This record gives sequence, structure tokens and C-alpha cells, in this order.
Amino acid sequence: MCLRSSSYTSPKPCKHLADYKLRHAFNGYDSLQNCLKTTPIGRTRVDNHNTKTPRCNFCNGYQGRLYICLMCSSISCSTHILLHTQSKSGHDVAIDIERSELYCCLCCDQVYDPDFDKVVVSEQIKGSCPGRSNKRRRLNSGMELDLKKSKQLIAMRDGRAKSCYPLGLRGLNNLGNTCFMNSVLQALLHAPPLRNYFLSDHHNRDECKRRYGEKLCLLCDIGALVSAMFSGDRSPYSPAQFLYSWWQHSSNLASYEEQDAHEFFISVLDGIHEKESKVRNSSKDDGDCQCIAHRAFSGLLRSDVTCTTCGFTSTTYDPCVDISLNLDTVNSSAAEKTGLSTLSGCLNLFTRAERLGSDSKLHCQNCQELRDTSKQLSISRLPLVLCLHIKRFEHSLIRKTSRKIDQYLQFPFALDMTPYLSSSIVRSRFGNRMFAFECENTDSSAEYEIFAVIAHSGMLESGHYVTYLHVNNQWYKCDDAWICEVDEGIVRASQCYMLFYVQKLLYYKANKDLSCNVSVESR
Amino acid sequence: MSRPPPPPPTTNKDQQHQNPSLQEINIKLIQSGEKERLKELLRERLLECGWIDEMKALCRAFTRKKGRNNVTVDDLVHVISPKGRASVPNSVKAELLQRIRAFLASTAD
Repeated sequence: MCLRSSSYTSPKPCKHLADYKLRHAFNGYDSLQNCLKTTPIGRTRVDNHNTKTPRCNFCNGYQGRLYICLMCSSISCSTHILLHTQSKSGHDVAIDIERSELYCCLCCDQVYDPDFDKVVVSEQIKGSCPGRSNKRRRLNSGMELDLKKSKQLIAMRDGRAKSCYPLGLRGLNNLGNTCFMNSVLQALLHAPPLRNYFLSDHHNRDECKRRYGEKLCLLCDIGALVSAMFSGDRSPYSPAQFLYSWWQHSSNLASYEEQDAHEFFISVLDGIHEKESKVRNSSKDDGDCQCIAHRAFSGLLRSDVTCTTCGFTSTTYDPCVDISLNLDTVNSSAAEKTGLSTLSGCLNLFTRAERLGSDSKLHCQNCQELRDTSKQLSISRLPLVLCLHIKRFEHSLIRKTSRKIDQYLQFPFALDMTPYLSSSIVRSRFGNRMFAFECENTDSSAEYEIFAVIAHSGMLESGHYVTYLHVNNQWYKCDDAWICEVDEGIVRASQCYMLFYVQKLLYYKANKDLSCNVSVESR
Repeated sequence: MSRPPPPPPTTNKDQQHQNPSLQEINIKLIQSGEKERLKELLRERLLECGWIDEMKALCRAFTRKKGRNNVTVDDLVHVISPKGRASVPNSVKAELLQRIRAFLASTAD
């Protein structure tokens, strides 16, 4: 537990709290330490070790908010707390018994003191498991655009081309139900880290052939694809070589049947990783892997499993390349009231503490018994490129049926992931505290900008994927071989299946790179 | 706080412990720790159905109107209490009542 530069602004203490602290420093807080009791779910209350229920000194009431005076430990209800401070001079500050929060009787309002919260939080932490330290991640220079090299690669400029479209936009021919592949490729090839990597020729095809001599290399094919997309030639391109390469890699998916775009996405990242780890001869796990797929997409998820009996929490970390979200449908919160599903609703659902059923009790290390538990997910480390997958295809093993959920999902173009970070989720367990938590890191930004949307239309078996790309402040629809400009309203109204966000800093830099790279020749 | 009148004396010996007063029930709930558990359950249900979000929105609206520095916790409590009490879903009330009844039945002497 360490104190870092705080990411919050602590409100100034009121005159009365400041006075109290001058006169009594931490005496009151220290004696409080023995009287704090934390419930397994994380609320801390003041417990005087009295068997009797706390009651107001004035009216004997036990309902509503009760406050205990920091000076004399007498208890008053919210109606009579003013009477107490009026009858005893200097008894200005009290603590809300149920919530362990400071209250100033004269200001009639809640007040905050980081020193007080430090005492409360340290009591709360005593039971739980501290998380491991965050590894710093600096922006890898390998993902910055090498302008010189990229200019060499973008050799051909077809004068007939529609030069008003930005560089890199090119249709992909459908080779037989391959819209799932085309849509994902459009999104991937425009992800700034990947695009820059290939345009900067970090995977040189000649060198690859020379060194490894393999006939098929997924990375080489992606490189060829990127070159083709950025060549300036606007005629639709057939990614046949890539398709063939991918079939070799994922033979179980090799067919002319329509596939799931998300499954394809995962398998491509996997293919890139496999090839690069063979090249580097490393077998690092996904969390530390330096292949371009992981450097761009890899994040870290944190899972906290809490015993509801004793409060003991065990924490595990799992790397991930995307986040699959359930739609916040009628069963949950805000969607029921407004009838509208939102991306923030889905993310809230994803990070909500969930009580696991009594039929899935887990062994608690502390209690040494099988106990009911509560599980909560949060994001420990955000990736550079955030891929959010909306689970629209429901496969029921019991009923042996699959169905598609058509529910419209509203999503933002600018996304702030702060509320879903582990630091925010952990912080929220402690209530309203002014405290710098260990797992908070202010290195990487949590702000994202959208750059691609893969939308699905139609039914489960016979649907169609298209990709919307946001380039140079304009939205384009990539429907297999056809690219056209569209209004942002069309994008917002689409049925999103996969959303691609990139960290804001990278986004603005990427757009700048593109625009200074283009020398448009108009005829 | 007014206490309900004590139950009338009955000849039936079973009726001795029936109809405990509200206060007695409350004390029982608190001392056994059941009230704490019920409050947790209530919090969970109110979160799930969006009640908490609604109350937050009401507080925000009120604070915006009056100005951030002119609002106290007591003000907010007074403002949202009537609306809050009225908008608790019936299903939540029913579930909690169920729990309380079950608890009382299990601890009946």
C-alpha cells in the first residue's frame, strides 16, 4: 500500500474539521481503528462492540442515519445530531455509523479527510489479497510509422484512381462467402499499430523468404495485402493468397461456408503470434509477447473472487486480445427503463460483481470450506487497440439451437474506459474514499477513439458483414468490393458486431501520419 | 416513533408469541445480523433494476440546479426520499418480505 500522486482532487476540509484536526490530530482516528468492522462485501461500519443496537441518545430511534461523535462516542440520529453539537461545544465532527464516513454537524454535510480514509481503507485491506505490481508499458517504437520506408513501399500511383479517397481504402473481392474475412481485414489493416508495422516494412518479405524459405507465411501475406491496399490502385483486390494461407493455418475453418468474423479475427491474431514466436524462438505467454498482434491488441483482465462469508478475495490475471460483451438486454438495469441498450450498459454488466450460484461454491482459503462467492471482472491493463465483440450469436448446448440477437446497441465514437479499470473497480469497493490505491497507474490513457465498426445484417446462417472505417474525419462503408462515403448517422444506426477503438493519442498521430504521407495527384 | 399497542391477551397458548411488535422484529433482525444481509440483498436488487442510477440522476439534477456548493447530503436525502420510496419495484419488496417472513419463521421460539 503506497501513496502516489493522487488522481483525485481532495475537497478542502471545512473550518470545523480543520479545527478538530488541529486540536486532536489523529487521536480520534486511531481509537476508531479497533471499532471498524468490514462486511464481506466491503462496507465498513463502526462497531462499538456493544451487543445492543445503536440508538439515538435523544429519541432512542434506531432507524435512518446514525452518527457517532468523534469526541464522546455518543450516538445521534440525523434529526438530533445538531442538538448534540449545540449541547456540547467542540463536538462538531461525527462519523456515519453504517458507512464510516465523516460528517460535520455544523455544516450539516459530509466532509472528507484523506487521513481518515487511510485508516478506514487500511482496515478494509487487511483481509484481502494485494494485487501484483503493474508493469510499465511504453509505446513501442516499432509501431511508429517509418515514413521513409513506407514511401518506398507505396510505389505505384495509379493516376486513374479516385484520388479524393484517402490512401489505404480499397475494396476486397468476395471469394465465396468471404465477407467475414474482408470485413475483419479492413478493420485490421487500418488499425494504426498494424498498419504502421507493415508499411514500415518491419516484416520484410524478401528477408523472410531468404531466412525461413517457407512457402506460406501469414505475415508476408498480410504485408502484401497492406501494400496492395496502399498502392493507390483503387480497383478491388482479391485476397486469394491470404485466404489460402489462412486455410493452411486454420484448416478446421477452411471451407466456403460463412464463418464468424470474430472467430476469424482471433485465428488471424493467433496465426501472426504463432509465426512470430517461431521466428523469435520464444515461448513467452500472451501477456508479455512482443509479436505485433499482441503488442497492438493484448490487454490484461483481472478477476476477483470474494468469499461472501469472510470477505477473503483471491485475484487472478488473464491476458486477452479482445473483450466479448453480453448485450445489456431487458433483464438488466437501465435498458429496461429506456428500452435502449448502450455500450456503457454492456461494459457495466461486464464489470459488475456477480454472485455465483450456490451450486458453484468454491473453496475459500481463509474459511477452509466451500463457500458462496462473488466474482468481479475489471481491466487491469488496457491494450493499444481495443476490440469489443458484441455477443449476438447465442448457441444453446442444451437446446442445440443457435439464434441471433438483433437488439440495437448504441455505441459512442469517443470512449473513456476509466470506470472499467481495475483501479476504478477496486476503488469503488471502498466507498467514498480519498485514497490513492496501489493498482492505479496514470501512465496510459484510458481514452479511445473509434476507427472501425464491423456490422452484421441478416440472419444467423445467411447474413452479411460490412465494415465502416473512420479515416480523416470521414466515414466509409467497405462492403466487399465496394467502398463509398457514408454519413456518420448510418454508422451509428448500424447493427454493430465488433467495435475497434484505438488509444486517442495514437489515433490523432495516425491521422497526421496519413495526411502528410499523401501527395494527391488529381487529374 | 410510536409503538404499536401490545397484543390483546388470548386464551390460546399458541398465540403468546404471535404478532411480535415491529420493534421486536427489528431488534431480532439486527442482532442476528440478518438485517445487514437483507440490506446487502436490497442494494444488489436496486442496482440491478436501475433504481440507484435513477437516484443518482435525481441528485445530479438537483445539484446542478442549486449549485454544487449549496447542496448538503441532508438536502439530497430529503429530495430523493419520497421519489425513492415510491419507485422501489414491487418485485423487490415482495422478495424482501419473503425473506423476512422466512427468517421469522425459522427463528420462532
